[in-house]
Amino acid sequence: MLRVEGLSVSYGAVQALNDVSLEVPPGRVTAVIGANGAGKSTLMRSLAGLVKPQAGRVLFDGDDITGRKPEDIARMGISLVPEGRSTIPELSVEDNLKLGGMWRSHTQRSTSLSRVYSLFPILGERRSAGADTLSGGERQQLAIGRALMCGPQVLLLDEPSLGLAPLIVAQILELVEGMARDSGLAVLLVEQNATVALRIARMGVVLNLGTVVGRGPSGELLASEELRHIYLGTG
Amino acid sequence: MALALVLVWRSTRVVNFAQVGQAMFTTFLALAAYQLSGNWFVALIAAIVGGAVLGVIVHALVMRPVRRQDGSGAIIATFGVLISLQAGASIIWGVDPRAYPPLFDVVGYEAFGRTWPFAPYDALILGVMVILVLALTVVFTRTSLGLRMRASAFNPTVARLSGVRVSQMLALGWAIAGSIGAIAGVLIAPRFSVTPYSLDILLILAFTAAVIGGLDSLVGAVAFGVGTGLVLSLVTGYSDAGNAPIVALALLALNLLLKPQGVFGHHQSRSV
Repeated sequence: MLRVEGLSVSYGAVQALNDVSLEVPPGRVTAVIGANGAGKSTLMRSLAGLVKPQAGRVLFDGDDITGRKPEDIARMGISLVPEGRSTIPELSVEDNLKLGGMWRSHTQRSTSLSRVYSLFPILGERRSAGADTLSGGERQQLAIGRALMCGPQVLLLDEPSLGLAPLIVAQILELVEGMARDSGLAVLLVEQNATVALRIARMGVVLNLGTVVGRGPSGELLASEELRHIYLGTG
Repeated sequence: MALALVLVWRSTRVVNFAQVGQAMFTTFLALAAYQLSGNWFVALIAAIVGGAVLGVIVHALVMRPVRRQDGSGAIIATFGVLISLQAGASIIWGVDPRAYPPLFDVVGYEAFGRTWPFAPYDALILGVMVILVLALTVVFTRTSLGLRMRASAFNPTVARLSGVRVSQMLALGWAIAGSIGAIAGVLIAPRFSVTPYSLDILLILAFTAAVIGGLDSLVGAVAFGVGTGLVLSLVTGYSDAGNAPIVALALLALNLLLKPQGVFGHHQSRSV
């Protein structure tokens, strides 16, 4: 579905991503894990078109989408939920959702809206409340809901666990995993919290200082030495 | 005019000091159109279209490149545009004052044996502004276009990720604000003589009204636009006309001390 080939991004003299390749197949969750500053968010931002890569390609269903504008990439079916619960506090819950996928037909959008409300019932209950009145977990649900309103084939989740209680994180990620399984959605999940991410992901990629240092089935990664090395500094 | 400032603020988060310059320019355009056609409404339409085009040009040529840097650069740039427009108008039309014909009577109503400083023409201005505010409020809060425009202003990144063409929305915001400013300019022009600098005082007044009303609030802008206007006509009426800007600035200062977010503004608080 989504294929990344040799992606390199630098901010001035700082190389944030160096020759990163990975694949995001439909119907399952793929995790990218790594410590702070590993280049995880840069990867997500360049996939969504917010950052222009210096080298490499991003292929979506075989089409080269490298360097396209974020609004065009969103319209193609790749939806990013950025780090830090990207809701618009000045708008109501429902307006935040309606913002997603405005280019789609009325029927498509109302189907998506009722689907989001059934996935996240709390959003339906609070639809006319201001988004600034929601709790952190609710806002994360709202941010994911907005992305789903775009009717994506690929969902990019950047650090959804940030600042949330473990129980809420588990609930949200389980929902995401279920969505991938049931509707064939391709999910790329970026997480600092490796245990949480690898629990729902089929495959994992380990990123360190912008370079892929390990990849494989989640179970193997969880037990691997590399991971221990990166996170704990033991060998 | 306050309304136009609020519009640009709402749709782009920039206080547009060039607004009066744009309105002055379109008033000259309207005057030219009036002299050609002899029709007041043709002149108004010329101003509206000119205002929209000018708004888009200012946005595309000046604001977009500047916005890539930080916030204060954009505000300084609007001053630059203001000065350029004034210089340009002086070159094209000269600095001699010209009269702008009113649509109808500018002599005040007569009641209780005296003439009041409120003419049928003022009623027209008030009516037009009320209609504009209602229309804009409906567009901003009830339509999907309004939602896209607001989202583009509040958080351009999230809007783009949602598939909104943010640059189009910003250009549209500037076009609408340019048109509103143009309408205000043409409506108010009969009260002034038209020169490249005749609307300068309005900048102070409109800015005062917009800030007091709350930069976020269309209703506030118009309510306090009218309020400021009333206070200032009292001041001009009972003392010297030269005192008006001082009183306006005093009102502004008082308001900033007491209620910085504006009477109708939302309290800004953001948390992550």
